[in-house]
Amino acid sequence: MRSLSITVFLVAALLVITTEHSYAGGGNVIFKKNCISCHYTDGPAKEKTIADQLAKKGPELWYAGSKFQKAWLVAWLQNPIPIRPMKYNSLTEQNPGDHPKLSASDATEVTEFLMGLTSSEVKPGMLKAKASIMGRKIFIKDMPCSGCHAFAIRGEVHGGKSGPSLIGASKRLNPDWIYAYMANIKVFKPVRDMPDFSSALNPKELEDVAAYVTTF
Amino acid sequence: MSRYAITAAIAINLALCTVSSAYAAEAKQVFDFYCAQCHGVKGDGKGINVGPDFATDPRNFTLAKDMEKRTDADIKGVIKDGGHSISKSPLMPPWGATLSEEEVDALVGYIRKLCQCKAK
Ligand code: HEC
Ligand code: HEC
Repeated sequence: MRSLSITVFLVAALLVITTEHSYAGGGNVIFKKNCISCHYTDGPAKEKTIADQLAKKGPELWYAGSKFQKAWLVAWLQNPIPIRPMKYNSLTEQNPGDHPKLSASDATEVTEFLMGLTSSEVKPGMLKAKASIMGRKIFIKDMPCSGCHAFAIRGEVHGGKSGPSLIGASKRLNPDWIYAYMANIKVFKPVRDMPDFSSALNPKELEDVAAYVTTF
Repeated sequence: MSRYAITAAIAINLALCTVSSAYAAEAKQVFDFYCAQCHGVKGDGKGINVGPDFATDPRNFTLAKDMEKRTDADIKGVIKDGGHSISKSPLMPPWGATLSEEEVDALVGYIRKLCQCKAK
């Protein structure tokens, strides 16, 4: 009787361990099968030249857990509406809007996997969305942000097309990631068509603009 | 002897040509990647970003009469420090922290090729 209950306990414990393991592993397996051809998930950044960047078929996801908000990610994977107005790495073709779609359960598992990929460069819990006057001045007036990124003022769309749209950034992006990205862009994207602003703006200005962008 | 000299001359010439054309190809790649989004692949100022929000259009580099008013040092300065630094449109970004000195020099050369002009 005693040994039976121990056996039952051990089997139950094993079951818990294996289900938990296959749960975490599930997203990874789905990702390897359907996504790895266009996105890499093992950091640090690999791109060294313009040619390396142009050869990529989709953005790198090795710091996805630091960059995205979980609720946005799980919803977007099921309904991937275009983020970049143009096709990835193209200045001539529009974004075809043909990103692979996942079922609700696969999206949940893949989100679990992607949210585990973080960068130590990003300090969580530092910043919150804030309609900072300084941030607004930097974004709209002093710096060329709006030249490449779409944003909306009272529902009216403004801005350029070569960068990812920032409309909906309040749901999509983590402000701590925006700050880290602006402060140390080479860690995340060593080769990209966006300028490095870390010497044009001081840390306080970078905080203001990161907090402002997260109100979009 | 003269045959040697000719062969040597051809070899040197070939080497020089490959170096300079590799340099030109690289300048075009750098321009297309960073600058064409606003200035256009042809350098005519009609990149995909340009719309009603651009109070000032990106400079049209093919207009010699505008570009010959600028020295190479002027062009280099605005590429590195941006429009904001010289009270021109802030939509012209500062690229100094992004591009190497060689890349900036290559871009100045490329812009001079687009305008077919020199500073006057
Ligand atoms: C054929 C190439 C391709 C495949 C396969 C692919 N993606 Fe993408 N992915 C892209 C491109 C291109 C974008 C940019 C889309 C946009 O901006 O609208 C993107 C964007 C994303 C983003 C947002 C990234 C960002 O920085 O904005 C996530 C998250 C993502 N993909 C996850 C996945 C997952 C999960 C899978 C597998 C189910 C997958 N992708 C399969 C090409 C691909
Ligand atoms: C976000 C859009 C944008 C990008 C990207 C951009 N520019 Fe510009 N550029 C402009 C605008 C707008 C002006 C016009 C500034 C003015 O006349 O007020 C300009 C002007 C210039 C000028 C002329 C300044 C003068 O003396 O009149 C040069 C030179 C120049 N850009 C070079 C470059 C180079 C090289 C690159 C790529 C490394 C680049 N630009 C990328 C928007 C851009």
